[in-house]
Amino acid sequence: MTSLVLTLTETLRYKGALGQWSWVLHRITGLGVVLFLVLHVIDTSWAYFYPELYVKAIAVYQSPLFTIGEFALVACVVYHAYNGLRIALIDFKPVWWRHQEKAARYVLIATAVTLVPVFVLMFSHVLKHYQSPDVQVLGLDAVVESQIPFIAGFVIAGFAALLLSAITMAILPKSAAGPKAKPTGSQIERFWWSFMRLSGVLIIPLVFGHLAAMHVLQGVFDMTVAGMTVVGVPVSGDATALWNGINASGTAVEFVGERWNHLLGGVAIWRVFDAALLMLVTIHGFNGLRYVLTDYTSFNPMLKRAAIYLCIMGAVVLLVTGIGALLGTIDQTAVDMAKEATAKLFAP
Amino acid sequence: MEVTFRIRRQNPEDPAKKKPYWQEFTLQNVAETDRVLELMHRIKWEQDGTLAFRRSCSHGICGSDAMRINGRNALACKLLVRNVGSKIQLEPILGLPVLKDLIVDMEPFFDHYRSIMPYFVNNSPVPANGRERIQMPEDQVFMNDTGNCILCACCTTSCPSFWANGKYVGPAAIVQAHRFVFDTRDEATAERLDVLADPDGVWRCRTIYNCTPACPRGIEVTKAIGEVKLAVMRGTNKGVIKASDIKVNH
Ligand code: HEM
Ligand code: HEM
Ligand code: FES
Repeated sequence: MTSLVLTLTETLRYKGALGQWSWVLHRITGLGVVLFLVLHVIDTSWAYFYPELYVKAIAVYQSPLFTIGEFALVACVVYHAYNGLRIALIDFKPVWWRHQEKAARYVLIATAVTLVPVFVLMFSHVLKHYQSPDVQVLGLDAVVESQIPFIAGFVIAGFAALLLSAITMAILPKSAAGPKAKPTGSQIERFWWSFMRLSGVLIIPLVFGHLAAMHVLQGVFDMTVAGMTVVGVPVSGDATALWNGINASGTAVEFVGERWNHLLGGVAIWRVFDAALLMLVTIHGFNGLRYVLTDYTSFNPMLKRAAIYLCIMGAVVLLVTGIGALLGTIDQTAVDMAKEATAKLFAP
Repeated sequence: MEVTFRIRRQNPEDPAKKKPYWQEFTLQNVAETDRVLELMHRIKWEQDGTLAFRRSCSHGICGSDAMRINGRNALACKLLVRNVGSKIQLEPILGLPVLKDLIVDMEPFFDHYRSIMPYFVNNSPVPANGRERIQMPEDQVFMNDTGNCILCACCTTSCPSFWANGKYVGPAAIVQAHRFVFDTRDEATAERLDVLADPDGVWRCRTIYNCTPACPRGIEVTKAIGEVKLAVMRGTNKGVIKASDIKVNH
């Protein structure tokens, strides 16, 4: 066993081939997307639970700091997706490892080729936003302040997981809590190994579709433009109806309401889409987080247990809040609250 | 030609040398075809008798002298100066406790090796001639490659998953398991696959591919691990490896 610091520094010092760097990138990009996902699902659930907070959250997303983060996020998702595909393919046919170095290079090239047009389009949304005469930008202090509850939440969750782990270790008999005498097969790990690969492949169309809607076809800036169409929702002729495919109030809440209330053949397709994305990404992401955390905490059974509890807690919280919001109905009152909050957002 | 060595040294028993430190040595009259191990002998014999390292056969067979050479694991007896250049950096392999200089404690490594039952199991009656259990050449090819392992630990100690988590059974033990799992005469496949399906078994492999180029025997280590994973997933060794996928040994 090597200390955590040594493991990390030596990972960078060892002269491995491209495969080592692919793994480092896969790990960092995966963790980056999980971090974003936590903020994102909780924020999004506010569209239903706390419309005023959602308005604020979207203003935060439109701030320069988050715009930079958004470019990084898209790069992370694209790289992780392509590289995950490489991993899954070679796992399926181990003899293809002979092409892995080339495949790793193709992953980098494909990522770059995808990102160039995507970044150009994303940048055009940014430009359009800053060129509009009435552009208003949330100050950096407000942006940082808005993230404090999340940081506090992470710290509290960490302590709760540690406490829970310490308690279980104290209650459980030594034999059950300590290391096993002999290694034995784990059906659960078998399941997770397959799940990571299968879910990864299923996530690709979902998350690429989601990002195409939110970054390429429209940008996060288009969510708050009054009178704008809403991506994925056709405009109905009825100007008097609230849900007509036009974000009349120009609030982020109405934007989400338009999408979630849109019915295609009687099915709220965007809710179904978001639910599938939510479940796959959350479970994949938190199991990935468990892989990473248990790798680095294997030297201490209590820390390792805490890491597992933390991942379970995180996944459950996200699934409950995310599904809770998807089951709710955004109505006229919510839009009115959002309108009021939008008016107050930049008021001195 | 002149060659400079930069060697990572440490002596846990000497309070002044408890912490690892770098020491440089310069050697004259070195030929391109000298092996790194020979030059280490010259340092030990001509300059500093306290330099500690392991070696036995000097011919890439015993697996004693695995170390990190110019940033990558290899056997000092298999690399020539012309493979590594005139600036040579040596470090102990990572992930096992350093006993002194380039010598590490191999016991945790061998514990993992022992855990996968590295011996032939067959309880059916001995063949009529009372001697060997014959195997057809077309069955033998499945364990051709992994049968070459010399347990030098180059692969296991090149693996970031193993550095992070010493409980991970590691590439070498999986390669050794592969040799028995895909031995058509062996009867302990189910038991061995169960050991390897432990949470710290094959699942800790993230296909980083440091192990494959580190192998001084040219074993396709990551491929072997992948095949063991598939055997674990399917619960059988049957049909995992196609004969046409097997590398031709020279
Ligand atoms: C900055 C980039 C992104 C923006 C602007 C964005 C925007 C949105 C918006 C507006 C919604 C509300 C529902 C809807 O209109 O469909 C939503 C929901 C959702 N997004 Fe994103 N998204 C982004 C990136 C991502 C990524 C990378 C993921 C996956 C890792 C993701 C996963 C989800 C999920 C799971 C939901 C449903 C949440 C719930 O059920 O409460 N989003 N997103
Ligand atoms: C877009 C499609 C995706 C594909 C094809 C994919 C594929 C994979 C695969 C195959 C693994 C297993 C790696 C291994 O065991 O060596 C993995 C790990 C991981 N994934 Fe994904 N994934 C995708 C999306 C995501 C998303 C959206 C997130 C975040 C919410 C995520 C987070 C992670 C994390 C944290 C790991 C663990 C990394 C590690 O152990 O080093 N992945 N992914
Ligand atoms: S000394 Fe025996 S393998 Fe190098």
